[in-house]
Amino acid sequence: MNLPGNLAKSSLLASVIFWIIIWSKEFEMNMMPFVLLSYIPIFLCVLIVIVASICPFFWSAKNEIYTKAQVFKMCFPYYTCITFGLCCYGIITSDYDLYFSAFCISAYITTNQSWVWFAKENTNTNSHDNPKQLINCEQHVTIEK
Amino acid sequence: MKQLAIIITSLLFSILFYDRSIGLNLSIFSLITIAFLVFYNPIKFKNKTILLHTFAYVLTAIFVFINHSYLSVIANCAAFFTLVGTVSETSSSIYVQWFNGIYTTIAGIIQRNFDKNEDTQKVNWKKDIDLAHWAKLIGIPLVFVIVFILLYKNGNPIFNDLISQINFDFINIQWVLFTVLGYYLFNNISKPIQVEPATSLDLKTENELYKSDHFSEEKLKKEKQLGTTLLGLLNLLLVFYIITDVMSLSSIETTKASELSNHVHSGINTLIASIIIAIGIILYFFRGNLNFYAENRTLKNIAFSWIILNIILIILITIKNQIYITSFGLTYKRIGVHIYILLTFIGLVTTFLKVLKIKNLAFLFRRNTQIAFVVLIVCSMINWDATITKYNLTKAKAYDVDYLIKLTDRNAVILYNLKDNIVISQENKNRIETKYNNYMLHLSQRDWQEFNYEIVANLEKLDKTKD
Repeated sequence: MNLPGNLAKSSLLASVIFWIIIWSKEFEMNMMPFVLLSYIPIFLCVLIVIVASICPFFWSAKNEIYTKAQVFKMCFPYYTCITFGLCCYGIITSDYDLYFSAFCISAYITTNQSWVWFAKENTNTNSHDNPKQLINCEQHVTIEK
Repeated sequence: MKQLAIIITSLLFSILFYDRSIGLNLSIFSLITIAFLVFYNPIKFKNKTILLHTFAYVLTAIFVFINHSYLSVIANCAAFFTLVGTVSETSSSIYVQWFNGIYTTIAGIIQRNFDKNEDTQKVNWKKDIDLAHWAKLIGIPLVFVIVFILLYKNGNPIFNDLISQINFDFINIQWVLFTVLGYYLFNNISKPIQVEPATSLDLKTENELYKSDHFSEEKLKKEKQLGTTLLGLLNLLLVFYIITDVMSLSSIETTKASELSNHVHSGINTLIASIIIAIGIILYFFRGNLNFYAENRTLKNIAFSWIILNIILIILITIKNQIYITSFGLTYKRIGVHIYILLTFIGLVTTFLKVLKIKNLAFLFRRNTQIAFVVLIVCSMINWDATITKYNLTKAKAYDVDYLIKLTDRNAVILYNLKDNIVISQENKNRIETKYNNYMLHLSQRDWQEFNYEIVANLEKLDKTKD
């Protein structure tokens, strides 16, 4: 699992989404230094969220016979529905506060995209590391055919 | 052509909803959604189930316009998810359709792209690198240019003035983002997807119960004896309770609100406990092979009689609640009790059918969720605020005016029209007039997207308010 690469991409994506939403309402050139500085707390938030809520799915499947694509197909729908519900609840209870809404929206989109990045890196690397997964992957392809 | 359809609908989405509250826009959105789904999935819309769900969705859209209540909006959203879920898989249970509908709406494009990329990953990897290269080519210089502009701004006043004159106010980024949201939504629902393995598991699960291989007559005989004894005793207890309840019903004083309230609430608590335990016990005993045991007739009859006794208990609670309503008027809680009673009654009938026709637990979930969905749609057809107000002011023996004034504005017109026919203080009359005037002013300030039936019905009055 390429966690550092995923974290770098996710935190960049989260920063972009977060600031685009805020700039849509209030934009000042003086905010720029804060935008650059905000990458640090955003990176920390992304790190905590991804390591605590997405990685366990892939780590737990490492010793099983499931490929990452299968983990994605099995767990992602439930994950995305729950996070969507939580983000909507947070936005509504914060009375549509701009900063909190931007945080929730960027968190939702980033976590979804992070799932895709984790799942996509699977086919070329992990299945070769784990022969069980390779067998399972081949079986999966045969069934699909 | 298909991308064009998504772009047009996303623009319409923004025109309808951007900076507007709910009204006619949600009804129009429902019709646009149906047209959009038909355009993308024309073959599926020949299926009767999908047509039925489309009709339900149209019905809720009409009632959003007519009633303009939270309940009608919730029913409309539920009907939307059901329709999208039905297009994704017609034969699945309604709760799986809800799940498919929600998943399609919030993450359809992600799943579809993932599935597509899985097949074409090897072909497209070069394209991905190109995209990353373009992102770097634009992103990195942009960041550095902005940083250096900020640095140079402080060093030179003319440069600072020039930079300050740059104004992007003519672009409404929020509107653009809202349109992107519309694009995302319509792109998601264009090809509804399924949650796996939940959908395939649901399709495999039948409603029938089958005899298992481990059929032990001795074990079943013991289980039947336990069930007969337990349900028999509970039947006796319930008969005794019903007799005492009928006796207490005849002695209720309808003049005391607290006594009536106490009767209804304690009755409801008893009902909740009794029904949950009843269904739980019946489901436990009729979970498997006991359904196919030749000597299960007595147990079945006792189970049926217990269901019937619980229905009698429901009728008694209904009578109590109705006495309460007749004496002290309608409230949301009292209506809630009636709806709860109706759902409980339906739950007992489906349990009865489950035992009678040897069905499994999936049958019970499927039927009950379907009926709950229908009840939600039926309830959304009624303007409850107006119904409560009209009933209380014209039929109830006593009512709470303060409660009626504090209800949402949807009873403002009816309250205003009836205020002279009832005996209330001048202060309350003034409050009613203020509520009515505020509501009329609020209606007159609405845009066409926020229109509802009440605006159309009171156009003349609204014109006067505007003047």
